Amino acid sequence: MFKKSMKKPLALFAAASLAAIGLTMPASHAASQTIQVYISADTNIQDLWVKTLAPAFKLAYPGYDVNVTFDLHGDHDAQETAKITAAAVLHKDPGVDLIDGGFVTTLGAAGLLYRPTAGLMPNIKDVNKTVLAAGKGGIPYRASSVLLAYNSTNVPTPPATLDALLTWIKAHPGKFTYNAPSGGGSGYSFVQTVVDKYLSDADRKTLVAQAAPELETKWAQGLETLRQLNKYTYGQNGTYPANNAETLKDLATGLVDMGTVWSDQFSSALKAGTMPANIKVTQISNPSLTGGASYLGIPNSSTNKTGARLLANWVLSPAAQNLIVGGTLNGFPVIALNKLDPKGTAAFAGVDILNLRAGYLSANANDLKSKWASTVPGK
Amino acid sequence: MISLRSKRNSEGSLAKKGERPSSHVRPGVLGLALSLPPLLLVGVFIGLPILIGLTFSLGFTAGPNRVISIIGQQIHKKSHWWGTLQAYSDVLHDSRFRGDLVLTIFVTVLSTTLVLLLALAIALYQRLIGGRKASVLVTLSIVPLFVPVVISAWAIHTFYGGDGFMRTFFSHFGINFPTLTSTPSAIVIGTVWTSLPFAILMISSGLQAIPDALIESAKDCGASSLRVIANILIPLAKTPIIIAGSFTSIGILGSFTIPLFLGPNQPTMLGVEISNFFGSYNRPQQSLVMAFIVFAIASGIAVMYVRSNVKSAKESGRL
Repeated sequence: MFKKSMKKPLALFAAASLAAIGLTMPASHAASQTIQVYISADTNIQDLWVKTLAPAFKLAYPGYDVNVTFDLHGDHDAQETAKITAAAVLHKDPGVDLIDGGFVTTLGAAGLLYRPTAGLMPNIKDVNKTVLAAGKGGIPYRASSVLLAYNSTNVPTPPATLDALLTWIKAHPGKFTYNAPSGGGSGYSFVQTVVDKYLSDADRKTLVAQAAPELETKWAQGLETLRQLNKYTYGQNGTYPANNAETLKDLATGLVDMGTVWSDQFSSALKAGTMPANIKVTQISNPSLTGGASYLGIPNSSTNKTGARLLANWVLSPAAQNLIVGGTLNGFPVIALNKLDPKGTAAFAGVDILNLRAGYLSANANDLKSKWASTVPGK
Repeated sequence: MISLRSKRNSEGSLAKKGERPSSHVRPGVLGLALSLPPLLLVGVFIGLPILIGLTFSLGFTAGPNRVISIIGQQIHKKSHWWGTLQAYSDVLHDSRFRGDLVLTIFVTVLSTTLVLLLALAIALYQRLIGGRKASVLVTLSIVPLFVPVVISAWAIHTFYGGDGFMRTFFSHFGINFPTLTSTPSAIVIGTVWTSLPFAILMISSGLQAIPDALIESAKDCGASSLRVIANILIPLAKTPIIIAGSFTSIGILGSFTIPLFLGPNQPTMLGVEISNFFGSYNRPQQSLVMAFIVFAIASGIAVMYVRSNVKSAKESGRL
């Protein structure tokens, strides 16, 4: 234990210096034709790249090789961001050509991503323009949405709107939960959705597109609504599950009848049998729960921008999008459904996957998480 | 250092006698050479990062802190030659911080007290009564040492959770056992669980070192068991007890996994809050400030530990 206590602050202090040390290590490019892909996600995304996308790309482009580096749950996002930022500042090779991870939009906002023109990446014309713009230079390639999961045995007709959901929560104390926004995106989405209920369309758009500290005072009403839910959510004492997985567990064991979950995590749990079949998902409206694309990023300082661009362009092709939709991932595609295999897309009936309500820009989202923590739990 | 100095003195007097004039400096150089690798290691991997962290918390955003200041939010740049205290003021005026600090100190004090009392009870039982039962008890109580903290945290979570063993068991008798997870009580249970083995090892070995003759002669003079404990065993084992107490409290002060899994979202212990500020809220400067506050409290405990060591060294004539 005491070892850990010393390690923790040290890790923080050392983050910056580690980045510098990382730079002095030799670049690991075997040949310029090798595309270094860095994945920061869960194991289902690792499988998608290692078992599906990389082999299929190599078949389509025999001259290229894809090397996947995997970081589980994004444990090293901060260090990787620091490394890429430092590489850009010092004009050195970051050792990465293509990134899939939550920090891609952060890199994009800091101007550290290479933005290929539409001529160089023809497939990008099929991608939803709003989703593309939100990437700040990141290339959207798959999506998922937060949905309302409910126990169909106890709740035959789930609420259809946010207002109906809020009424339901108050009428059924202890039967709804969402996780702490700092612990996972499904809980964060519920928080942003409640806060957005009181914002104008223009304000919502601004918060998605740019850092807007001046708008943050308008969150007060939504946060107050959330604070009033403390005595109605699970536990009834203003405590919330730590992460996405705990919300799923609470639903599966029957502790709660309703909760917000990620579409892909829910489908995977259903397939794996860890989620009983009587738990179903639906989307609410006015406003809807948020969803979003996962973005690929090509660092400015990458030494194989051409390879990375070819791979990113190929991932947006109907052939690759079909691979993302099928298989175990059940990801949402980012191009129009009529370009895809109808068998794979049948599951998306009822969810408007191309018009997902976007989450805030990460700087605003970080502030919302912080504000939630200081105004809602335990108050 | 002390023994080195005395060695040099004795060798110095040898030199005066003219037997080995060249050995006058050598021990000092040798001592320095021997202590150089660990000193360098501590300096480069602990001292330097602390220094860099301190300058960053004071608003020095150039040099090694340049990268992190590009990425972080709410970064304060220095306004005087010595920096700025803006990040410190942010933290002290944050409504969360006071609750976090109070909870951290509360859990540290309560858990350390419980750990010391339990460890003393088990160690005294083994020392005074002994036998097979006592050995089994001590062996069992050391088991948590070999269970990773994250595993024990989840085990405790499923035991005391809403659908956990305690609630399920008591509901058979119509008793509504409270859900302890997401409360400070669960943090205390978790930290005691994980810290107990080390304290037992430390204190029981301290008590074992006390000669039987002392206990027996006291008993021959008519001293009760309580008097033997209060006047002989505890005073003689004071140093290991203080060492166990200071290591336990420093460990609990900086704990992360237990309060993250078992505690409430807010207030939370500073270990979790530092991680929240660094990761989720992207405020590295403020998280460093909190780290320095934890560091300051831990240093206070460390002073107690060093004092007790010096005192025991003086008593045994080593100083």
